[in-house]
Amino acid sequence: MTVNIAGMVYHIDEDAFNRLRQYLNKVKEELHSVEGGNEIYQDIESRIGELFMERLKNNRQVITITDVEEIITIMGQPGDISGKSEGREYTSQNRNYRRMYRDPDNRIIGGVCSGLAAYWRIDPTIVRLIFVILAIFGMAGVLIYLILWIVLPEARTVAQKLEMRGEHVNLSSMGEFFRQEFDNVKRSFQKK
Amino acid sequence: MKVENAKAQMRKGILEYCILLILERGDAYASDIIQQLKEAQLIVVEGTLYPILTRHKNAGLLSYRWEESTQGPPRKYYALTGEGKTFLNELNSAWKELVEAIQDIRQTPVKNDQP
Repeated sequence: MTVNIAGMVYHIDEDAFNRLRQYLNKVKEELHSVEGGNEIYQDIESRIGELFMERLKNNRQVITITDVEEIITIMGQPGDISGKSEGREYTSQNRNYRRMYRDPDNRIIGGVCSGLAAYWRIDPTIVRLIFVILAIFGMAGVLIYLILWIVLPEARTVAQKLEMRGEHVNLSSMGEFFRQEFDNVKRSFQKK
Repeated sequence: MKVENAKAQMRKGILEYCILLILERGDAYASDIIQQLKEAQLIVVEGTLYPILTRHKNAGLLSYRWEESTQGPPRKYYALTGEGKTFLNELNSAWKELVEAIQDIRQTPVKNDQP
């Protein structure tokens, strides 16, 4: 396999490639809310490219999973890079920061409408109605829906679900989330 | 209270100052800076450097230019701007004050606190 890092192409093992992609996606996600995040990401990518070069000096051709793991240790965890895991002050700017996700808990087809509704803080039914009306008048609604389905990530983790609703991710909000989930489960059992 | 944690906080506090000091001695690209910070044991993971550089650049303290490299991709060379120099001078005097303050506290004999 080959991978393109900062404009250079490297040969890489498949497991190494997967690990690297997972890491870079995580870094990108973390930097999303940081000012100048895109630029920081590119700097990090070129540094990784440089570290690859160093490793490929002695007639070695292929980047292995060990190389990738070593480089991740050198660069640090995504949370360290964005400074979020340090609990520093500049995370407070993002206190009510919301991201668009697909909402798997309230979905009818792909969770696109309920995700958008959570983002705009409106009733999902309104969003669904708009999409249905758009779908009746030509294909626009269907097309937009499909594109959003592909583009929007699904809110899988608790942190992502809180982020989708614009709630600050911390221990107490996580606790609140689990309490609500637990109540929901309890209620659905009582109905039966 | 872990001593490692307290140490890390201290290092982090002066990291930005150290980066500016390194750049005062001459233009450098990220790997140069990382090398020097590592030798001084001021940085644990490299990733923490890039957000600081970008933040300072956006604040007008640093500028950068691209330079071709014989091995690998072109490199971003950072340099201190005029504004950055003024900023650094402020930090220099703040650092002096801090060192003096610590020395004062250390040298002040303990007075009536003891029984």
